[in-house]
Amino acid sequence: MNVSSKTSEAAGAKQEQPMKHHCEHHTECMKMIQALLDGEANEEEKEHFRLNMDKCMPCIQTFQLEKCIKDALHSKVERRPCPEKLVAAIKAQLNY
Amino acid sequence: MSEAPMKKGYTDDQKYEVFNREFMPHIDSMYNFAFRLTTDEDDANDLVQDTYLKAFRFISSFEQGTNAKAWLFRILKNSFINDYRKKSKEPSKVDYQEVETTYNSEDAADTSHTVDLRADAVQDLIGDEVANALNSLPVDFRTVIILCDIEGFTYEEMAKILDIPIGTVRSRLHRARNLLKEKLKNYAGSMGYDA
Repeated sequence: MNVSSKTSEAAGAKQEQPMKHHCEHHTECMKMIQALLDGEANEEEKEHFRLNMDKCMPCIQTFQLEKCIKDALHSKVERRPCPEKLVAAIKAQLNY
Repeated sequence: MSEAPMKKGYTDDQKYEVFNREFMPHIDSMYNFAFRLTTDEDDANDLVQDTYLKAFRFISSFEQGTNAKAWLFRILKNSFINDYRKKSKEPSKVDYQEVETTYNSEDAADTSHTVDLRADAVQDLIGDEVANALNSLPVDFRTVIILCDIEGFTYEEMAKILDIPIGTVRSRLHRARNLLKEKLKNYAGSMGYDA
């Protein structure tokens, strides 16, 4: 147990960048994450995200949260279909 | 698609044909949008009916092959603003200005908005809670979220529907989502997620 945790620590130290737990440009990141989820990110933003997405804990959490909210809005909020009476009323008003 | 755009001079038959083919398929989305804006079934009925009658009246200004859904949404949004302001002394404008002032500085909006809300807490919310949180937003913020996340319009389409630049669409969405997170947090909190 002790031995294995030591070796994994050593392996972690060898990695180029440790996980960030504070994001100093979170506002910019959040805008980028939203654009990505909206399918509106440009190539530069997509590339930046691809290279950095696993290095910053606040951004990872933001991505998950924003995605969950977007999904919830899309799939959980009840969609009200147009009442048939209204369709009939519109057609009647237009005489057809 | 093979038809040349007919900007003016539809015959009556053509008007009905365009109306049926281009406008009617969007009626469920239109009704849903109207209901989310007004949060009232009767008002939604009136708003959709007004919008479709207007669309028919102004059908000569619709170019076939262009985005009928965005065109209709724009009419509905404008009708809503006019009726809404008439009915209730411009609460949308007042609300919006108030919130714009509060959140006008990007920094003010963002430092206070590293919202402590967890993704799994959102997953546990039920539809009514999400809808109530959405409904509690000032109408301009609610609108961008409906258009983007519920109806799936692109930023460019939203810019046309709302008559605002794309940059404003982006920043308004950003603010709207921060506000929504605060509202959602209340529901998540009331379920015991908030320690």
